[in-house]
Amino acid sequence: MKNNPINRSLGIFPKSWSEEYAGRIPGNIPIWVGILSELTEFGIFFVAYFIAKFYYPEVFTQGPQSLHTSLGVTNTIILLTSSYFMAKAMANIRVDNKPKCERYLWLAFFCGCLYLIIKTWEFYWNDLQGFGPSTSEFFTVYYYMTFNHFLHVGWASCAILWVIFRLRSGAYSAKENAGLEALAVYWHMIDLMWILIFPLLYVLR
Amino acid sequence: MKSIGKLEYYLLALIAITLFNTFLGEQFTSTALVSVLIALTVTYKGFTVIDHFMELKGANRNLRFLMKLYFVIFPSLIIVSAFY
Repeated sequence: MKNNPINRSLGIFPKSWSEEYAGRIPGNIPIWVGILSELTEFGIFFVAYFIAKFYYPEVFTQGPQSLHTSLGVTNTIILLTSSYFMAKAMANIRVDNKPKCERYLWLAFFCGCLYLIIKTWEFYWNDLQGFGPSTSEFFTVYYYMTFNHFLHVGWASCAILWVIFRLRSGAYSAKENAGLEALAVYWHMIDLMWILIFPLLYVLR
Repeated sequence: MKSIGKLEYYLLALIAITLFNTFLGEQFTSTALVSVLIALTVTYKGFTVIDHFMELKGANRNLRFLMKLYFVIFPSLIIVSAFY
């Protein structure tokens, strides 16, 4: 929210980054510190992927062909849809339509759970095919990236439950919804990371 | 009948691009052209989520710039990796 006290008091960004100079900060500054840290973490994974691909091009050509592509595509569509539900939840809280906002949050939560179930099935399927983290350099990078992303979806899904609880207890309204918006931008960040992970591991050969 | 809204349009576009990318990867041997196409679509998908789902369009311009920069740098590396 504009002029959110937490955004005024946390003077860790330069003045030119403040809401007055650069525009409204969706959610709050702490969540953006978290998001930028996560982007750095995933950025290191992506750089590791490109370095490994440079040294082991054959392994990275064969690797994606060993994966269950349909499960990867399904999970991509599920995460994109969950981002849509989250955006709809935000749109509804802004007009004080709390029941509809809650409905969309539950839908985003179910998408998160579905993603986790499918990903678990995919890990199990890989195991049945004899693929594990030490199978090849490709699979080491694959498990490193996807399991880390799996954890992010897991704890962000738990955060959706917390936000639903807060919504029900009247913490959010059309005027005050910074907490809900902070979760929404974090959830979109998780979706964005999958948008990069998917082509790297499943599509590019 | 309720008309399709902007968010619904973007969601459908994102799903269509995902399916198109998968089709490219499955049907064609990885050429530089396929990698360039995939990199461009990844950038488009990233920009769409950043501007319309994350709602950074019209919000803090530095955060928007950083997020978008991320979706320029890594897709560019996809293109570079096509020429290894």
